[in-house]
Amino acid sequence: MNINQLIFRNLVKNIKHYYLYVFALVFSVCLYFAFVTLQYDPSMDSVEGTIKGGAAIRVTSILLIVIVSIFLFYANTIFIKRRSKEIGLFQLIGMTKERIFWIIGLENFLLYFGSIFIGTFVGFSFSKLIILVLFKVTGVKGIAKLHFSEQALVQTIIVFAVIYAFIMLMNYIFIKRQTILNLFRVTSSTEERVKKISVFEIIIGIIGITGIVSGYYVSSKLFEGDFQSMTELFGAMAFILGSVILGTYLFYKGSVSFLFNLVRKSKNGYLNINEVLSLSSIMFKMKSNSLLLTIITTVSALAIGLLSLSYISYSSAEKQAEEGIPANFSFGTSKEADLFTDQLTKNGIAYKETTVNIIMADINIGKILEAELSGLNFDPNMTTLAVVSENNVKGVDLEEDETLFTNYADALEKFMALKDSGEVIIETTDQPIPLHYVGLNDVPVVPYLYTSGGMPTAIVDEKVYEQLNNNKNDELQLAQSTYFGIDIKKNSEVEKANDIFHDLKLDEKDFNLSRYDMIVSNKANMGLTMFIVGFLGLTFLITSGCILYFKQMDEGEEEKHNYTILRKLGYTKGDLLKGIQGKQLFSFGIPLVIGLVHSYFAVQSGWFFFGTDWTPMLIVMVVYTVLYSIFGLLSVLYYKKVINSAL
Amino acid sequence: MILEANQIQKSYGNKFNKQEVLRGVSLSIQKGEFVSIMGASGSGKTTLLNVLSSIDKVSNGTIKIEGSDITGMREKQLAQFRKNKLGFIFQDYNLLDTLTVKENILLPLSITKTPRKEAENRFTKIANDLGIYELKDKYPNEISGGQKQRTSAARAFIHEPSIIFADEPTGALDSKSASDLLNKLSSLNETLAATILMVTHDPLAASYCSRVVFIKDGQIYTQLNKGEQDRQHFFQDIMKTQGILSGVQYEH
Repeated sequence: MNINQLIFRNLVKNIKHYYLYVFALVFSVCLYFAFVTLQYDPSMDSVEGTIKGGAAIRVTSILLIVIVSIFLFYANTIFIKRRSKEIGLFQLIGMTKERIFWIIGLENFLLYFGSIFIGTFVGFSFSKLIILVLFKVTGVKGIAKLHFSEQALVQTIIVFAVIYAFIMLMNYIFIKRQTILNLFRVTSSTEERVKKISVFEIIIGIIGITGIVSGYYVSSKLFEGDFQSMTELFGAMAFILGSVILGTYLFYKGSVSFLFNLVRKSKNGYLNINEVLSLSSIMFKMKSNSLLLTIITTVSALAIGLLSLSYISYSSAEKQAEEGIPANFSFGTSKEADLFTDQLTKNGIAYKETTVNIIMADINIGKILEAELSGLNFDPNMTTLAVVSENNVKGVDLEEDETLFTNYADALEKFMALKDSGEVIIETTDQPIPLHYVGLNDVPVVPYLYTSGGMPTAIVDEKVYEQLNNNKNDELQLAQSTYFGIDIKKNSEVEKANDIFHDLKLDEKDFNLSRYDMIVSNKANMGLTMFIVGFLGLTFLITSGCILYFKQMDEGEEEKHNYTILRKLGYTKGDLLKGIQGKQLFSFGIPLVIGLVHSYFAVQSGWFFFGTDWTPMLIVMVVYTVLYSIFGLLSVLYYKKVINSAL
Repeated sequence: MILEANQIQKSYGNKFNKQEVLRGVSLSIQKGEFVSIMGASGSGKTTLLNVLSSIDKVSNGTIKIEGSDITGMREKQLAQFRKNKLGFIFQDYNLLDTLTVKENILLPLSITKTPRKEAENRFTKIANDLGIYELKDKYPNEISGGQKQRTSAARAFIHEPSIIFADEPTGALDSKSASDLLNKLSSLNETLAATILMVTHDPLAASYCSRVVFIKDGQIYTQLNKGEQDRQHFFQDIMKTQGILSGVQYEH
């Protein structure tokens, strides 16, 4: 047998052995190529053009490279370690290290570029589906037809060639450093030496749990008004992040073995098969994987959190637009409004017009603020709000000394809560007007241009309005102080009306707004965010699942001799398999549960800004759980093979 | 009669390339006997031990342990059989690294679901007998080879099996630890009336036994009984037989 045959046979044997590695490789190439095809596809211009998605997509493809390459590097370190015996054998029969390096390199080359070839084609067909999904969520009307992009192919090949070069470098260093003896012994040397739990580890364990729990506790208190100033709030956020991440790390490092050790102590040496296989093994393994597990749980919690929140804001795109623009169309001057309504009449579209006069005034709301906020870059005693007369708001009738606020953005309301009643003072150029604040309404009255990002609008009695109008501070007024709202009576005609709005080039003026346009652009923005977070999240999930699986494969091989012993002692295959299932429940279950709980608390904090919505979070969590369970199941199957061959 | 093997044969490989390892071995062991099997490398002694202990299947022949034939048993029955009737001691200890000494020793009792109290009593007794009680909370990599092998022996004895199989138990030990272990084994053999079948290539280890079976090329070559003679003489007998076995001719 010459060297070429050796390489070929090795390759064939290894493909069978490393099918998941090959799968992971094909999968990474496929995802990357699909994404890059998308990036270069002419039909994407509409998505990129309308919402400046180009930059976002470019950043995503870089993040994708980062995830994929970390994953491949990691997989490679596991697999090169497993082949150390073979490398040792080659050395023993007199091959030089360079020669071995070339054999491994060539083998990897075939494996790699074979996978790239397959991955490219799978990715190409896959990209059509992806682009359909993207168009669907962003609401872009385009026809999803794809061209095989040579540019995308070249970019994919370059990226993976660079990753290949790095992997070869890693292998070279690995081979170079090892002596023959080391190579034969490598699997055992990486195993952590089993020793007793020290007091130090108990302390670490307790600190870990305390860190996570206190982080959760603070996050649930975050918006309950316990943190008054902005600095305190940011401090609390930093504390949550730090204590949860550090806590997670220490949890894996110490708490797991600490807790398991407590259970084990209580057994007084009398362990059943489940405990033998799960408790004792996980106690030691989880410690050495703590950094990896921390990264996996934190990033997946982040992915789940972001995906849920972006879904919430995606689905609330219409509500946001309604809060921002009270009518279907909004104009700043009567001339433009008339131009528009004339055309509507011509086209037979029924509409309703509302006119609201707006005065911007400084209002002292310091006394009705729930909390003393310091550190904000605005003064509650001089808050510029839009003031309208009660005549413009349906169903509101106020006394002369009363004022009602309306349409206060949810997020801001959580942040700066208002009392139920209190005194406010409107500053004028003449005498200040003291008013009695009677409550908060949620009907939008003026477009977002007047509300400086979600501040409420003050409704006052007609007489007070007149008084203010005569003494208004001209410096505060905007270019237009009247708002003309046009509501289309039939929902089905809104789109047609919007076309007229654009045909008349009314959208080019600052004070002319279309709610329909706002919904479309909100959806496109949030849709793209959701798409990107989802794409990256899925990639991360699958790669991290693969990594956990590889880890378990490794552990299975390392523990094979244990299974031999146990089977000799009289445990059946079934007994062992049951024990392994228990073990995998912990190996995959612990990171899964921690990730889910982390993301729950992250999403919960986000609800203050985005509104409460359980569904998206639950959906994402279920997907996450199902994917992890699949990897857990695969690893049990792998263990089954190991156990069967153990005797 | 604890163990009765009749004309057992074992061969590896396929029809065209057959390697016969055992060619019709018959062996019987009485209760309370301490028997060792000796032979050169490749003589088939470990294969013999493996088939007798149900870890490997025979190609032909029958093996009865306490009257029940194990050659026809299925995987599950065999496991059942092993956990109740057999104990094992191996050259490389075969302890689980992640369990403490005590947990390792209690494993066979945990499979048979022995009550906790009973398990505790048995552990205390056997661990004291073997002098490893103080090590009970240590992990295998914190103790010496001799201590590991005694732990392994404790695990083999704790569930009072019908027969204990020992595969080169002294192979990895220094001479002091080896003689320590063998003394313990033979005293347990006497006090508990435990039956032990040991494979070894060390004549000194074999001299602790009551009977030595020599095998060569997959067949029983000869047997030596200790009888009334002391260990020193028995050792010399074994040496002589081994010499003949390995082909050294005595010239006159």
